[in-house]
Amino acid sequence: MSDHHDGIEEHDNHLPNWWLVTLFGSIVFSFAYWTYYETLGVGAAQAQELAGEEAALRALREKSAPPISDESLLALSKDQKVVASGETIFKTNCVACHGMRAEGSVGPNLTDAYWLHGGKPMQIHGVITKGVTEKGMLAWGNVLGDAKVRDVTAFVLSLKGTNVQGKPPQGEKDP
Amino acid sequence: MKQIEITYDDRISRQFIAASIIFGLVGMLVGVLAAAQLSFFQANLGTSFLSFGRIRPLHTNAVIFAFVGNMIFAGIYYSTQRLLKARMASDLLSQFHFWGWQAIILAAAITLPLGITQGKEYAELEWPIDLAIAIVWVAFAVNFFWTLARRREKQLYVAIWFYIATILTVALLHIVNNLSLPTSMTHSFPVFAGVQGALVQWWYGHNAVAFFLTTPVLGIMYYFLPKAAERPVYSYRLSLVHFWSLIFIYIWAGPHHLLYTALPDWAQSLGMLFSLMLWAPSWGGMLNGLLTLKGSWGKLRTDPVLKFFAAGVTFYGMATFEGPLLSIKSVNALAHYTDWIIGHVHAGALGWNGFMAAAMFYWMVPKLYGTKLYSRALADMHFWLGTFGIILYVVAMWVSGVTQGLMLKAVTASGALQYPSFLETLEAVKPFYMMRLIGGSFYVIGFVLMIYNLWKTVKSGAPVEARLTVTEPEAVAHVPAGRLVFSKPIAIIFVMLGLLLGFATRNHGHWVVYLVALAITCVVAYAWSPREGDYSWHRMLEGKAFLFSAFTLLAVLIGGIVEFVPALALKQAVPTENAQRPYSALELAGRNIYVREGCYTCHSQMVRSLVGDTARYGEASKPEEFIYDMPYQWGSKRTGPDLHRLGGRYPDLWHYQHMLDPRATSPGSNMPSYAFLKDAVLDTNALATNVRTMQALGVPYPAKAVLEAEAQARTDGERIAAGLKAQGADVAANSELTALIAYLQSLSSKEKANVSSGISRAE
Ligand code: HEC
Ligand code: HEC
Repeated sequence: MSDHHDGIEEHDNHLPNWWLVTLFGSIVFSFAYWTYYETLGVGAAQAQELAGEEAALRALREKSAPPISDESLLALSKDQKVVASGETIFKTNCVACHGMRAEGSVGPNLTDAYWLHGGKPMQIHGVITKGVTEKGMLAWGNVLGDAKVRDVTAFVLSLKGTNVQGKPPQGEKDP
Repeated sequence: MKQIEITYDDRISRQFIAASIIFGLVGMLVGVLAAAQLSFFQANLGTSFLSFGRIRPLHTNAVIFAFVGNMIFAGIYYSTQRLLKARMASDLLSQFHFWGWQAIILAAAITLPLGITQGKEYAELEWPIDLAIAIVWVAFAVNFFWTLARRREKQLYVAIWFYIATILTVALLHIVNNLSLPTSMTHSFPVFAGVQGALVQWWYGHNAVAFFLTTPVLGIMYYFLPKAAERPVYSYRLSLVHFWSLIFIYIWAGPHHLLYTALPDWAQSLGMLFSLMLWAPSWGGMLNGLLTLKGSWGKLRTDPVLKFFAAGVTFYGMATFEGPLLSIKSVNALAHYTDWIIGHVHAGALGWNGFMAAAMFYWMVPKLYGTKLYSRALADMHFWLGTFGIILYVVAMWVSGVTQGLMLKAVTASGALQYPSFLETLEAVKPFYMMRLIGGSFYVIGFVLMIYNLWKTVKSGAPVEARLTVTEPEAVAHVPAGRLVFSKPIAIIFVMLGLLLGFATRNHGHWVVYLVALAITCVVAYAWSPREGDYSWHRMLEGKAFLFSAFTLLAVLIGGIVEFVPALALKQAVPTENAQRPYSALELAGRNIYVREGCYTCHSQMVRSLVGDTARYGEASKPEEFIYDMPYQWGSKRTGPDLHRLGGRYPDLWHYQHMLDPRATSPGSNMPSYAFLKDAVLDTNALATNVRTMQALGVPYPAKAVLEAEAQARTDGERIAAGLKAQGADVAANSELTALIAYLQSLSSKEKANVSSGISRAE
């Protein structure tokens, strides 16, 4: 037994080759990466990369967005399948503020004839897409995507005239 | 030749072991409680003291500083004395270290549940406690280096190298990261804001893992593992290479906690690359451990100590492979802010730290009490329960992290978020929260078995005074320090570093020249490098404790300096005035409540530059949006959604209802209720002090802001309360809830922009 290191002995084996490969490999890779992204700036910077991804997402949305109008939305609001899909979306995303039966709580009653931002299908669609953030209505365009916004708009339109007892009317009466 | 008898001070190790075990149990139980709260929000028993945001810091601090801290001290005191053939220089300092450290832990256990916190992870303790930590640590350092000076064994063994690195670096990290300006005995603002704050914090946070949870435990491995296995260490050469590469590289890797954030790209690249380069040095430690055990596989089956060592070192290898993997930007984009990271740290904490501690205790306690382990069968059971618990825990977190990460960024064919509601993703991972709770509980049960086993062992023996008779060493030829400093290795290292810096400076046309010169230096260095068995330079260095320490300090300083200096210079580059307005007095008070309640333990405030983040939360966060954030609150885990673009997203009434009962607005949420804030009265006396302190830290408040702070806050509070009242919600203008709502509504760059210097909220 050695007198040194409290009796602990040390061999002096070679460094395993595969270990050396990982060590030097990662160093060489780091040089290459730095040169590519930082020194030469060939690789896209983070902001550029994000801009590219966002543009791709926008393109996807535009491509899949069917053209809509007051008439097409109104027609959809009579389509049971679309309205059912809209109702599901409403139940997950909107009831927190508009109530289980759209009778209003934080947000206005959506079943009466009064509208803060107009009762035309495209106006309602616009509020849902862009929101009224300063008043607490979220912009859903980004979150839900065009198809779901369209469906939930159809659902809201289908509620017209149901006049559920709830939050008192706000805004102008829809002619 | 003179014979002398040394009596080792083992009492101090016995004390630290007891403390480690007791606080370890407490820390783990608090962890189980925190885990339970994520499945059952009611588990905080409705009291603010046990609220998730307050006890998660208690859990992390207890496990890191109380459990592992006391464990490494026990191991360091035990092995250092034997490796240096010297009793600790001062029993008084040892005892001061022990009792001081326990007092600090006690202070932490009291202040954290009270919400007294700096709001920075693993650096939550407030400034008076930080000061105490610094003093106790210095006492420990003095005692250690004094003992080094009085050693009777000239050559420093590798375990001692790791201890030196630990003591010096932890002191450095702790002091720099806790620089702050107090506003009272229980509150302070850090001097670094926003991006700088984040960089300093993760330089600290990451290296707390490195130099508190890793290097000292590696030192302990190098002493206790060969002792227990009765085998020689596999390779001296490997220990040398992995020691220096580990401590040099580790310090740079902090920014891997900040990938895709508002931190500049170059710093992120450094963080990622140094993490990749860290893989081999870390595995060097694992290899030296495992290959030392090679040849005693037979004993491994019967000896619980070796079993724990083998598994601990293996978990270390697993965690240090996963770490570099998680630092790769594309992997990080998915994993960051999810449970995967929680799984990763627990592979390290439970597997590496917990099992290394168990191995050391099972080996040491019988020796310290001159007896044999009470029951091998119980230790075996501990081992299997622990292993099973870790696997359950880690797998649950992997699955949960990957699932939620994928769900949060999933888009449909039409380009919309597939799971727009955050709650849907939470719902999906809830089963794994249960699984983690069960896994963690198994681990604790194993730990309790260990306590019982060790208790019975202690009872069957009595404290032993360990003695050793040594011959007073003869004076050996003195090597002048100059010969070691002005030497080939040092010259080459400096040339290399200079060339590296030249190469790394971007926009510099000469980078090719630097690269070529570097390559040539490497070849020269290789040609000059010592041949087989000739390590004269390093062997000589091992005989010079203080020079060795100085080189160690230098090695860890370089990375920090290279990353800090440009990042601090960044401050001037950010458009400070006009782009942002400082927080109003009421918002600032609300922010302090946000920090106090530890909302950052569940919420981030950082929309990363990833399309998954921007589609969900809005525009990516920019560095200038955080210049008045002291402390920065980017968070590290999204149990709830990001809040950076929260302002204006919901009406005040929504926040009111949500804070009183999150389930009212968000069915299925596991966010704690903060109803107690409604009845808590805002400390209006602190308003002016807060503004004044911020002013002193360079926030451009108008001169009158301090005087008007209270009145301004009252006006703002009354406006919010009146608005809420109109909607049927009754809350006092000076309620803490009102202040918190004011802060939450200010969380949006849009509103802060274009308001030149007025401090009231833009109407
Ligand atoms: C966070 C609460 C909140 C949520 C969630 C919410 N809304 Fe609203 N909503 C409001 C508020 C508040 C208003 C009133 C805005 C105003 O005062 O201008 C509003 C207004 C509206 C309006 C216009 C009403 C009018 O009178 O012109 C429509 C339509 C609407 N919301 C639909 C939806 C739909 C559909 C969803 C779900 C996809 C939804 N809202 C989710 C709060 C919310
Ligand atoms: C245990 C983790 C946890 C803690 C601690 C926590 N939250 Fe939450 N929070 C959540 C979860 C989960 C959600 C998502 C579901 C919901 O709306 O309640 C959430 C949602 C939120 C939201 C809504 C965000 C949005 O965009 O919909 C706000 C605002 C919020 N939390 C504020 C806070 C504040 C302020 C604190 C501290 C006082 C806090 N939270 C503490 C988990 C937490």
